[in-house]
Amino acid sequence: MKSKRKYKKLEEILITLLLIAGGVLVSIPFLWMIFSSFKPANEVLAMPPTLLPENPTFENYQNLFTNMSFGIYLRNTLIIVLFSFIGLFFNGMAGYAFAKFNFKGKEPIFYTVLATMMIPAQVTMIPVYLILNQLGLTNTMAGIILPGLAAAFSIFLFRQFMSTIPTDLIEAARLDGAGEFRIFFRLIVPIAKPIFAVQAILTFIGAWNSFLWPLIIASDQRLYTLSVGLSLLQGQHASNFGLQMAGAAFMVVPIILIFAFFQKYIIEGFTMSGLK
Amino acid sequence: MNRKKLTTLAVTVFAAASFLGACSSEKESAEQTRIQVWAMGEEGNLLPELAEKFEEDNPNINVDVQAIPWGQAHEKLLTAVASGNGPDVLQLGTTWVPEFADADILLDLSPYLEKNPELAPDNYFPGAVESMMYGEKVVGIPWYVDTRVLYYRTDLLAEVGYDQAPATWDELKDAAAKLAARGDGMYGYDIDLNDQLVPVILSWQNGSEYIDENGKPDFGEEFQGALEFYASFFEEGLTPTSGQIEIVDAFKNGVKPMFQSGPWMVNMINNQAPELEGQWGTAVLPGNVTNTSAIGGSNLSVFHNSEHVEEAVQFISYLNEVDTQLNWYEISNALPSRTAAWEDAVFQEDPMLSAFGEQLEATKATPQIVEFEKIAQELLRMLEKVVVGGAEMDGEVAKFKETVDGILEE
Amino acid sequence: MGDIFKYLYKNRYPYIFIAPALFILISFSIVPIVLAFGISFTDINLRGLADWSRISFVGLDNYISLLTDDVFIKSVLNTLFYVIIGVPLVIVCSMGTALLLNYGKNRIFTVFRAVYYMPSITNIVAVAVIWGFLYNTHYGLFNYLLSVVNIDAVPWLEQPTIAKLSLIALAVWKGLGLNMIIFLAALQGIPKEYYEAAKIDGANRWQTLRHVTIPLLSFATFFVTITTLIGWLQFFEEPYVMTNGGPLDGTLSMALFIYRNGFQLSEMGYAAAGSFILFFFIIVATIVQFKVRKADADY
Repeated sequence: MKSKRKYKKLEEILITLLLIAGGVLVSIPFLWMIFSSFKPANEVLAMPPTLLPENPTFENYQNLFTNMSFGIYLRNTLIIVLFSFIGLFFNGMAGYAFAKFNFKGKEPIFYTVLATMMIPAQVTMIPVYLILNQLGLTNTMAGIILPGLAAAFSIFLFRQFMSTIPTDLIEAARLDGAGEFRIFFRLIVPIAKPIFAVQAILTFIGAWNSFLWPLIIASDQRLYTLSVGLSLLQGQHASNFGLQMAGAAFMVVPIILIFAFFQKYIIEGFTMSGLK
Repeated sequence: MNRKKLTTLAVTVFAAASFLGACSSEKESAEQTRIQVWAMGEEGNLLPELAEKFEEDNPNINVDVQAIPWGQAHEKLLTAVASGNGPDVLQLGTTWVPEFADADILLDLSPYLEKNPELAPDNYFPGAVESMMYGEKVVGIPWYVDTRVLYYRTDLLAEVGYDQAPATWDELKDAAAKLAARGDGMYGYDIDLNDQLVPVILSWQNGSEYIDENGKPDFGEEFQGALEFYASFFEEGLTPTSGQIEIVDAFKNGVKPMFQSGPWMVNMINNQAPELEGQWGTAVLPGNVTNTSAIGGSNLSVFHNSEHVEEAVQFISYLNEVDTQLNWYEISNALPSRTAAWEDAVFQEDPMLSAFGEQLEATKATPQIVEFEKIAQELLRMLEKVVVGGAEMDGEVAKFKETVDGILEE
Repeated sequence: MGDIFKYLYKNRYPYIFIAPALFILISFSIVPIVLAFGISFTDINLRGLADWSRISFVGLDNYISLLTDDVFIKSVLNTLFYVIIGVPLVIVCSMGTALLLNYGKNRIFTVFRAVYYMPSITNIVAVAVIWGFLYNTHYGLFNYLLSVVNIDAVPWLEQPTIAKLSLIALAVWKGLGLNMIIFLAALQGIPKEYYEAAKIDGANRWQTLRHVTIPLLSFATFFVTITTLIGWLQFFEEPYVMTNGGPLDGTLSMALFIYRNGFQLSEMGYAAAGSFILFFFIIVATIVQFKVRKADADY
């Protein structure tokens, strides 16, 4: 019995060591990004590179806000994030309908939805632009937001989760005379909280990093997002890597914090989405 | 009640969306004209500084600069072409001019040349003037230029008996061979295998037109001779086939004592290798029949759908005044396109810069045909096969000629 | 006719529920793809885009020239190489990491979840710079480590096959996070009773893993496989930022080929045709996956 416990202890140490080794390997690029953002221009490109900055400086971060309109970009990014949360409800509603209703055309419609997930992104860009142009939505926030509101991947995940909700529950609510929208918003959404949390973080990351599309639609720099601002830091021939790394770090850190904070809910959300 | 909620939600969303939309198209006061300018990357970030002064002088014009990242500029331009919604003034890299000129989206500026003396072709370097024209039309005005010159380590070249930069192909080859003989892992002259201008420049220098004014390829003996010269550097071990030796670092430690590059490299060396000061220099490219280099840079054009052509031209004209160009050099380090600006002391006294001035007198623009990019990519691919893949030069050149004929036929 | 309306009215709720999402998908995915399909039969390029009267219908020409375009065929083969090696690797690595992370309950393991998740949210510019350094033949960390144990320098990004493998390693690193989370979630959803039952039956750890855990992960595996497969067939970002398709087109993927032709060379018709061939590959791969899954489920 004693040796078994010892064995167990040894195993735990071994696994922890394995995880640490892998973790270091995995996080080198990330740490390098953070450290580089504190390096002055001549050090960031030094060969061979240094890991820790020799002469740490906050110059890059100061530059980010004084020389660029990073404040405006941040605001735009947050607007996009906010609106994409509305899209989340659209996807949730669709997922609910596919999971809990029987209606004519359900199967073909669902497969069509899934098929949109397989469309290579490059092919639809110009047609989508022309459509938005016809609608007069180019150079508007609406034009940036609308195409991203619905996503097949998200609908699929919602459907997976919601098909695990007992139908009896919904039937009971119907017998009580609740309307369908009331059922969705008062009953389904609370039960589906975990999956909404998962989707919210994925949506957040997507919207936070949205890049090519805001650039294409906007003909006004006041509509740029953080990612677009970040790529503006790249020159044609030479680039200021320190500044770019500061921008990149500035973009990644909030996501890390959100993830670290919500990870329990996120994993719970996936757990309950019936992915087992 | 719940349906009501949903309706309210939907209404709010769309109201908010249209509000946000409305926000972005600000009201213009009756007498003010707003012109939109698209500039690339860093230039776009810096241009507003110059635009401010223009707005002071012309209170009725409001200049709105939009900076577009270099990496995504082509996509952005494509969508503008597709919808016809473009800016008034547009910065275009010279290699992109033929493509967009061919699509008829750049306004012919010839009617405005007379009224705006700053725009007259004889103000600019001859190579830059080539990129202004597409057929009979004036499709853009050179804004700033760049060209390739030779960068070399004065101390290391002196050690192998060169007190001055090599001036001919033979000298270049000889110096490179001596430098490469310094030891294992040492090279003589660096060639970037991904640089599409190098083979073009070499074929010009060897007396080939590469692709002539009528868009016909000139792939004769001189052309093949130039490619063989190119490949010989790799075969003889004077140039590494691996492109991963970082150039500034290799220049600093002497691994690559010579290379060709554009004006941006001056600052990079100064910033990343300040200790090299006094041990390096720039010179015009070593030549054979000629010592032609390629001219690059950016033009300013007016988009065909612009509603404020007069004002757009006025702005371009302002940017191309000698004083503004000198000011722009201070802000952005971009070399002025106007020959008159080069008479300024800044360019006369700085030895690093004067080489560029001298080289600019002997430059050509890349062929003004739409297919240039595609052909240049094919050429690089072919050279890579020979140099890295070990294919036979003669056979590959023959195949390349066939491919180019196919591309040009379309 | 009246019957249809009656049916629709009676069953209006599901339609109302799917309407907003469906409307957006139709307007911004389905209509565009139909348009793009039309485009693939034309010779549209920049000139045609500026003036639509210059576009002409070329029938199957684009498709025919694609099939004889050596570069395109190379990109197809490269893409298959990526998928065949990359997809199983992602699944094994993310499942393995999830199993390890699920082993312990203490604080360290929670911290590592975040650590392993980090690559998937690191900005692509940073990824390109740092991996470019790691892979550098002359200064790179990897070759430095190899030189310590007296192994010759490896041209990580400068030899077609090695470069492909290097990009796969990078993509696995980047794709680990999300898939690991999915597996982790699935693992935590397995009721304790199953393990207790296995223990009572005298199964050792390895047997439990093989006969209890992995079968119970089958849906998660299926889900990860499908999404990873679709993602890898559209492999784009890694070669785009690291090698731009080189050396000798050795890392060119189909998506990069399409991008190059459509947005850099402005041959939109040709690029659209290429993307439909890619689309076709994706659909076939997905159908095969669903079929295999069905066969498994029957068993």
